[in-house]
Amino acid sequence: MKALKHLAGLLALAALANPATMAGTAGAADYPDRPISLMVAYSPGGATDFQARIVTMVAAKEEYLGQPVVIINKPGAGGKVGWNQFAAKAKADGYELAAYNVPHFIAQSVVFKTKYNIDNLEPIANWGADPAVLVVNKDSAFDSVDDLVAFAKANPEKVTVSGAGLYVGHHIAYLQIEKAAGAKLKYVPHKGGAPALKSVLGGQVMAGVNNLSDAYRSRDNLKILAVADLDRNAEFLPEVPTFKELGYEVDDSSVNFRGIMVPKGTAPEVIEMLSQRVPEMFKNDRVGKQMKVGGSPLRVLPRDKVVAMWKEREAFLSELLKDLKQE
Amino acid sequence: MAVALLIPFTFHLPPAQGLMLLGAAYTSTVAGGAVSAILLKIPGAPANIATALDGYAMAQRGQAAKALQVCFISSAIGGVLGVLVLIFLTPVLASWALGFGPSHLFWIAILGVTIMGSLDSRSLVKGLLSGCIGLWIATIGYDDIQGVERFVFTEHLEGGVNVIAALIGFFAVPQVIEMLEGGRHAKDLRALGVERHSVLDSAREVFGKLRALSIGGLTGSLIGLVPGAGGQIAGIVAYDQTRKLSPRRRHFGEGESEGVVAAETANNAMVGPSLVPLLTLSVPGSPTAAVLLGGLLIHGIFPGPDLFTLHAEVAWTFINSMLIGQVLMLVFGLYVARLAAKVVQVPAPILAPGILVLAVIGTFSVQHSMADVLVMFCLGAGMYLLGRYGFSPAPIVLGVILGPLAETNYVQGRLIAEAGDGLFAYFLTGPLNLLLIALCLASVGYSLVTEIRLRRLEADWGGGPTGPVAERWQQALSAGLLVLLALWVAYVSFDVRDPEPYLFPRLIAVALLCLASLAFLRALQGRNRTGAGIARDAAIRIAPGLAVMAAYVFLAAEGLGFYLASALAFLAVYALYDPGSHRAPRVWARRLTVTLGFTALLYAVFALLLQVQTPRGLLL
Repeated sequence: MKALKHLAGLLALAALANPATMAGTAGAADYPDRPISLMVAYSPGGATDFQARIVTMVAAKEEYLGQPVVIINKPGAGGKVGWNQFAAKAKADGYELAAYNVPHFIAQSVVFKTKYNIDNLEPIANWGADPAVLVVNKDSAFDSVDDLVAFAKANPEKVTVSGAGLYVGHHIAYLQIEKAAGAKLKYVPHKGGAPALKSVLGGQVMAGVNNLSDAYRSRDNLKILAVADLDRNAEFLPEVPTFKELGYEVDDSSVNFRGIMVPKGTAPEVIEMLSQRVPEMFKNDRVGKQMKVGGSPLRVLPRDKVVAMWKEREAFLSELLKDLKQE
Repeated sequence: MAVALLIPFTFHLPPAQGLMLLGAAYTSTVAGGAVSAILLKIPGAPANIATALDGYAMAQRGQAAKALQVCFISSAIGGVLGVLVLIFLTPVLASWALGFGPSHLFWIAILGVTIMGSLDSRSLVKGLLSGCIGLWIATIGYDDIQGVERFVFTEHLEGGVNVIAALIGFFAVPQVIEMLEGGRHAKDLRALGVERHSVLDSAREVFGKLRALSIGGLTGSLIGLVPGAGGQIAGIVAYDQTRKLSPRRRHFGEGESEGVVAAETANNAMVGPSLVPLLTLSVPGSPTAAVLLGGLLIHGIFPGPDLFTLHAEVAWTFINSMLIGQVLMLVFGLYVARLAAKVVQVPAPILAPGILVLAVIGTFSVQHSMADVLVMFCLGAGMYLLGRYGFSPAPIVLGVILGPLAETNYVQGRLIAEAGDGLFAYFLTGPLNLLLIALCLASVGYSLVTEIRLRRLEADWGGGPTGPVAERWQQALSAGLLVLLALWVAYVSFDVRDPEPYLFPRLIAVALLCLASLAFLRALQGRNRTGAGIARDAAIRIAPGLAVMAAYVFLAAEGLGFYLASALAFLAVYALYDPGSHRAPRVWARRLTVTLGFTALLYAVFALLLQVQTPRGLLL
């Protein structure tokens, strides 16, 4: 009898010690009781990485998560390596978060066979929005979008435009601009935003689509012609008009939204708790100050808004990219 | 790499301290990577490949201390020179550096390709063949310029072959396997003498190599300035130029200190100028500079035109920390040179598993990727086989570095040319293009002339005994397998619907096929006279160690948890190859103590200090 009791006790202990059972039962109540990881699908020092570090730096405070957030970088194939692994392998226990980049991951899931799409991921909250801008070298003959479009209409496929890679925000903004202007341009993809901007500064290409934050830092050597967003950026570039103001139908579909997500199947209580506290964490004063100092526009959106934004983007991108789909 | 690992660290430091750490790390990693290059022929960074060629040969001759001293003194000279270029010439050079476009970078890559054949290889055919294998490996994975996945036959290859994983695999794993060749009762192969060598003598020697110093300083600064050229090739280019201009060129590769001086001066001279575009125009010129940009932005410092006016204090703190980093590196390096004896004299049964475990965690920590570790190990095991048949890792890794440089810039150049005056005008006209093409032609021409003079096309390199040569059927089999690989690459690259992204793979496939067939024919005729092949008894001695390593990499590291698996693998290899009796308790006590000590050190450095998140299994 006694031996049996011992055995039962041991079994109960073993069950308690097993992390899987803990996440299932006791998990939601005292979540989180250990550090949380946040997977970033880009290299350390990149914009997504350093912003993720800034917005999670106060996570350990009791009013937010009460536990520190550890950043894990899994770069490769434009983010596909990290997100594929996250969708396939991450435990849905609330301790494995990932940073998302819209429109990148949605565009990739439309064009390529990826293990992730908006249906097997759950957004928590959005922290930032970096719109694309159209820039030319400060010595360029183009002083406005109209100048550039007029030249492009007279000289189809002669205006070279740099941007970071294919199926990322820059590429999508480029496709939209081309469509709205009714002119044929020439897209020259680069390995990342920095080399793409360098090609504009060095005069290798005639124009470029780049991040607002990076263009802002180089504004002395550039002419920033327009912003691909619904509103002007009041914080950094209040004098630069949007495409819409100039009469070109380019919306905010290419804006690089960054935020936090979890795998589908995460307990509803955990998602609930995270989606209440994480946006508060993003709104922290120290976070806001540090983001501003780094030249990164902050835009905090709650979970329901992000869910809607993801759906909207997927529908739009499926239409825009349907000719580019790879089997 | 080191800078990337340190970013999370600096985040919690005050800006000035964080920047000093980054600046010092940025300058000193390049020189630090030379230590393992010289002692073990395992370059710590791609930049140190050229250092390994003559540095390791010097260490093998018992001049490890001298090689390290020469290396650190020339590193410091190059490094200080580079920072001086950064301080005094920044405004002049910034706009000039920006003028380099895709066509120029393409020709710089081709200049590197012309060096491949003669780098660390006794046979031109095998050198070129190795280089082409590297070029092909670089095309594996997703290409974000052309938006295609190529040669991804397993999901582990989706992200492509990381350069660091390739470097570690190609250099470290074959060294580890070679150490096991002797088996259990082998005499300690690594008991090399380490001489006492005066620092003053070394300094005198370095300052006597004015040709190497000036070529290294100039090449390094120039390549560093060009955004996107990748300072990784600075050392190799300088090494090659110095060799071509040296009257002792035939002795390069056999332990010529001039080679070490050229390579290390260039590597470190590259560091300062590579920051010119970043600090003045906020445009990072290299991947490391991009990481540094993130580090600066975290602290709210915008590099750019007003950096030296608005943030002058911070800017100068940063630049000074790079100078101080050089001095500290010199002092530390000269001190390490004295301790080198200890590393070289560690017995093989401890050194081999130690290097393996470090290779695994080092590869893992680059991208937190177990796939990279598997790729690293497989490439390494393949390299061991190739190495036994006269192939060398240096041209392969050079190919891996140059492949994307050539291809990306060709594709961008083609797009720009289509919008402009056409391919011919874009790539073949303009003073800078013509200058670079002339350099490429001079490099090829010079090589051909010396090859013909030395009759190296026919026989192998003169001078020095070549050692035993594998039997004809073994040589033919190894070359035959490469022919099959080339056929497969060709089949995959030509059997595609959209040919455009496969232009480079096709060119490489054709080159591979020609060179592999040539090597095959030469092997059949018995004219293939490099590479000792694999003897049956050596294969039997390697087998158990290789089995343990494979089990460790493929199964245990993720299943058991990284540190537990590492400790077990270390102990298993150590016990298998340690000549001590398996019955003596004292022998086991020693084995366990060494294993535990090593694992504890590993854990302290990677888990506690650098906070690398390793796979967790049952326990740690």
